[in-house]
Amino acid sequence: MAILEVRDIASGYGEVQILWGAHLKLEEKKLTCLVGGNGAGKTTMLRTVMGLIKPLSGTIWFEGKDVSRVPAYTKADMGLVLVPEGRQLFTDMSVYENLEMGASNKRARGKVKDNLEKVYTMFPRLLERQTQKAGTLSGGEQQMLAVARGIMADPIVLMIDELSLGLAPVLVLQLFESLRALRDAGITILLVEQNVHMALAISDYGYVLSEGRSEIEGPARQLIKDKHVREAYLGL
Amino acid sequence: MNAGAILTSLVDGLLIGVVYGIAAMGLNLIWGVMRVINLAHGALISLGMFGVYLLFSGLGLNPYLALVLVALMGLLMGILIYAIAITRVINAPYLSTLLATFSINMIVIGLGTAAFTTTPRDTGFSLGNVEVGPLTLQGTRLIAALVTLIVTAILYTFLYRTRTGKYIRAVSNNRSAAELMGIPSSRILALSFGIGTMLAAIAGGLIATFFSFTILSGDVYQQKSFIIGVLGGLGNPLGALVGGLILGVLEGVLPLAMPNTWVPVIEFVLFILILLVKPSGLLGGKK
Ligand SMILES: Nc1ncnc2c1ncn2[C@@H]1O[C@H](COP(=O)(O)OP(=O)(O)OP(=O)(O)O)[C@@H](O)[C@H]1O
Ligand SMILES: [Mg+2]
Repeated sequence: MAILEVRDIASGYGEVQILWGAHLKLEEKKLTCLVGGNGAGKTTMLRTVMGLIKPLSGTIWFEGKDVSRVPAYTKADMGLVLVPEGRQLFTDMSVYENLEMGASNKRARGKVKDNLEKVYTMFPRLLERQTQKAGTLSGGEQQMLAVARGIMADPIVLMIDELSLGLAPVLVLQLFESLRALRDAGITILLVEQNVHMALAISDYGYVLSEGRSEIEGPARQLIKDKHVREAYLGL
Repeated sequence: MNAGAILTSLVDGLLIGVVYGIAAMGLNLIWGVMRVINLAHGALISLGMFGVYLLFSGLGLNPYLALVLVALMGLLMGILIYAIAITRVINAPYLSTLLATFSINMIVIGLGTAAFTTTPRDTGFSLGNVEVGPLTLQGTRLIAALVTLIVTAILYTFLYRTRTGKYIRAVSNNRSAAELMGIPSSRILALSFGIGTMLAAIAGGLIATFFSFTILSGDVYQQKSFIIGVLGGLGNPLGALVGGLILGVLEGVLPLAMPNTWVPVIEFVLFILILLVKPSGLLGGKK
C-alpha cells in the first residue's frame, strides 16, 4: 500500500496555477525521486503536500487518511516532514537549537536523545559545531544541518527539496549514501533533485514532472534507460 | 551645583532608564517576532498605570502585588488583542498592521478618557528615601529598577532556556520553517503579543508608583520606546535595556545644563541621527 498518495492535484499561488493534475505515490520504506526542469512545479508539489499551500482540487492521502486540508504544523505531528528548498534554517539559533526545534512535533519530542545520537553519528561535523550559529555554517554544513533537522523530526515520510544544490560532489555522494541508510532504517523518502542522473541512480522509483503535470513514472532503473528522459533530462 | 546633586541626577536617570528599557522591550519583542509596530503600546502602558492605581487606591492592594495582577491581565489582554485584531492583518502590508494597532490605541484612549477623564492621577504611594553616601534616592524608583532587572532576567531565561521561549525565537527567525517543524506559529505569535503587552503594562504599573499620570501619559513612553529601539537595535531585548539606560542618563543629566523642554528635542535629534548613520541601531540587532 502507498503510504503517501497525491491524486490529481491542482495548486498554485493566488491567480497563478502551477500544478495541473499531478500525481505521486510513495511506497513504504522506498526511496522515490521527483525530477523535472526548472519551474516544473516540484517545490510547489512539496509545499502543497505539506499544507503550506492549499490545493485548488485533488486530494492528498497519508497512511490511508485524507490530509488535503491539514495545516503544516499538524502534518509534522503525523510524521510527514519536509526539508525545504533553500534550507530555511533558524540562522540566529545555534546548531543544537536547530536540531532541538526539528524535534518540536509531538511524535519527536520523546525521542530527542536517540535521534540526536543518530544525526551526530551521521554528521560528526555538526557535533563539533553544536554551539555555532547556524547562519555562520558553510553551505555544506548548512545542508547537513537541514537534513539532520529533518531526521530530528522522527519522520515516517521524509521529503527533501534539492539535496545536492551547490555542494561539492564528494559531499553529494556522502549525503546520498546517508539517504540510502535512512531508507534502509525504514524511513520512506521523497527526493526532489536537479541532479537527475544521481537521483535516479540511488532511487527505487521515479517521477518526472513537466509543466505541472506528471509526465513519466517508473522504476528508477528503467527511467535511466528511457529514451525521452535521457534526451530531455540527462542530456544524452 | 554640587557633586552630590549631579550624582543623584545621574543615578536617578539610570533607575528610570531601566524602566524605560522594559517598556521598550515590549515594543521590541513584538516587532522582532512578528514585524508589527505596535502603535497601541503607549495606550497599554497607560492601562498598566491605571491598573496599579485602581487596585491600590480602590482596593487597598499593595502596589507590587497589584503589579503582578496587572502583568497577568496585560498578558491576557495582549493575547486577546492578537486573536481579535492582529491575526487578521498579520500577513498584510505594514500599513494594515499600523492602522490596526492605531485603532486599538484610539479605542483604549477613547474609552479611558470617558471612564477616567484626563485629570492627572497619583497613587500617592511612597517608600521614603534611601540615603547612600551623598546620594538621596526614592525607594519606589529603586524598587522599580530592581523589578525591571528581575523581569528582564526572567524574560531572557524564558527565551533562551525553555521550549516555548525557543519556539518564539524560532518563529521570529523563520516563521514558515517553524511551522514545518510542527510549531503552531499563530499561537506563538499570540503569546508573543501577550508578553509584549505584559511588559508594557509592567512598565506603566511601575511608573505609576512614582509619577502622576493620565490615560494619555503612555504615549510619551511609546515615543521613548522608539528612540530606545533605535539606540539599542530593534529585536534585541538586552539592547532595549542598554538603550533605556542611555536615555535615562541623558534625561537625568541634560536638565542640569539646559531647560527641561530641550530634552525631547535632543532625544529626537539623536533618534534621527542614528537612523541616518546606523539604521540597525547603535548596538546592531536585526536589519
Ligand atoms: N510564491 C510564488 N508566487 C508566484 N509564483 C511562484 C511562487 N513560487 C513559485 N512560483 C512559480 O511557480 C512555478 C513553479 O515553481 P517551483 O518552485 O514549484 O518549481 P521547481 O520545479 O521547484 O523548480 P526548481 O527546480 O527551479 O526549484 C515557477 O514558474 C515559479 O516562478
Ligand atoms: Mg524547486
